[in-house]
Amino acid sequence: MSISVMTDLVVDPNIRGWVFLPIIVITFLVGIFRHYVSILLSSQKKVEIQQLQDSQIILRSRILRENAKYIPRSSFNMRRQFFNNQETGYLTQKREHTAPTMMTDPNMMTDMLKGNITNVIPMFIIGGWINWMFSGFITTKVPFPLTLRFKPMLQRGIELSHLDASWVSSASWYFLNVFGLRSIYALVLGENNAADQSKQMQDQMSGAAMAMPPDPKVAFKAEWEALEIVDHQWILQDIDNSLVDQ
Amino acid sequence: MSGSKAKSEKSSTPTVAYSEIAVRNNATVVEYCRTSMAALSGCTAGLLGLTGLHGAAFYIFTVFVLWFMINLKAGSQFNKFFMSRKALLTNGFFGQLFTYILCWTFLYGMVHVY
Amino acid sequence: MPATLFHRFVLIIGFLSLFHAAYSAAQHRSFLRINEQTFTHLPLDIIFQSVGSLFAVMYGVMHIAGDFKEIKASADLENKTWETYRNVPSFYTFNHRGRTFSPFYIHSQHSDESE
Repeated sequence: MSISVMTDLVVDPNIRGWVFLPIIVITFLVGIFRHYVSILLSSQKKVEIQQLQDSQIILRSRILRENAKYIPRSSFNMRRQFFNNQETGYLTQKREHTAPTMMTDPNMMTDMLKGNITNVIPMFIIGGWINWMFSGFITTKVPFPLTLRFKPMLQRGIELSHLDASWVSSASWYFLNVFGLRSIYALVLGENNAADQSKQMQDQMSGAAMAMPPDPKVAFKAEWEALEIVDHQWILQDIDNSLVDQ
Repeated sequence: MSGSKAKSEKSSTPTVAYSEIAVRNNATVVEYCRTSMAALSGCTAGLLGLTGLHGAAFYIFTVFVLWFMINLKAGSQFNKFFMSRKALLTNGFFGQLFTYILCWTFLYGMVHVY
Repeated sequence: MPATLFHRFVLIIGFLSLFHAAYSAAQHRSFLRINEQTFTHLPLDIIFQSVGSLFAVMYGVMHIAGDFKEIKASADLENKTWETYRNVPSFYTFNHRGRTFSPFYIHSQHSDESE
């Protein structure tokens, strides 16, 4: 009964065309726009050839350590020499090239800046603009009863203490849209998933060697140590005899 | 040990390996359907002018309809595609509620308030 | 069953029908308001049209969303060729003598000791 009383509150249909609908359209289009801008701005992670080489070397060394028992001792020593030789080994070489750290690397900084540009700034600018442009309208009514506790949340910008809590003001309608449209974006922008998948594919192609610590020296040292202490046991020593015995 | 135990709970035979890509693909498809169902049923509920508990009941009804339609789509080879029917029904029951409410409010406002 | 033109057609028709139902409902509401009658329920045809178009759209969406894949790992392996199996990324080696034949080969300091 209270609902039928409250619907007597007649809202100007112009609000529907000039406030209610524009807010949802603007929010939606801004979301789409932001998605494409972030795609446009996102730079492909560039991998230095030196870094890739280092990570592949470490992978090779790890494989050698794990499967050392399947090759004869001389072969193992030969391979170990390539990595661990005092003068010419790959892992013991001197590198004067120091890896850029987080703060000095300009790429990192621009990436962070781009993230801010695409995420934070639209939030403030569009939100502020909507607040200024469409302030103080009653836009809609949620179709279910709400307690008075929701009043400050749903009626931002309208200070009417006698208004039923289920009416929604324009500013709050904007915020409802911002949070509620997320799953709709996922529906509309299927590219989100496609981008992820292609990224996975790329990782597979490079042999999952992308995850390279920025400073190769530490990784080299650890790998050198691990390779030094490998106790080589050739388990195929008696393979012919045991095969014949079977 | 715990991994194999979890596997054996999901299917009767203990040594069934699941392809992760396929599982994720199916989950994506179901999620897509669920989101669109929430949005569309929200729109319909707003259109019909359902209020209060009727809207909630309509949401539950559409969740069941979606479950039924997925069953229909998967057909008789249901176990080929999904681990269990019940998880399909209950997973993400509340996750799409906000989408539903937004669409419900939107169409209700468009049609019935003004 | 992949998505066909028919499913897209059903989807579009469903959307249009849903939109039409919404427009009819809005018209009905404004008609009632002008005549100062109270709203009890929508006309039956609008209700049927909207629910029917909801199902039509869902039918279209279900098919456009994509096909299910078999989750058993063995099912995926049955269609693979021997070449796919032979391709083991762990055994990739690029640091061998053959690289000197590459047109992009850069003569680095470590190339001489690998020979």
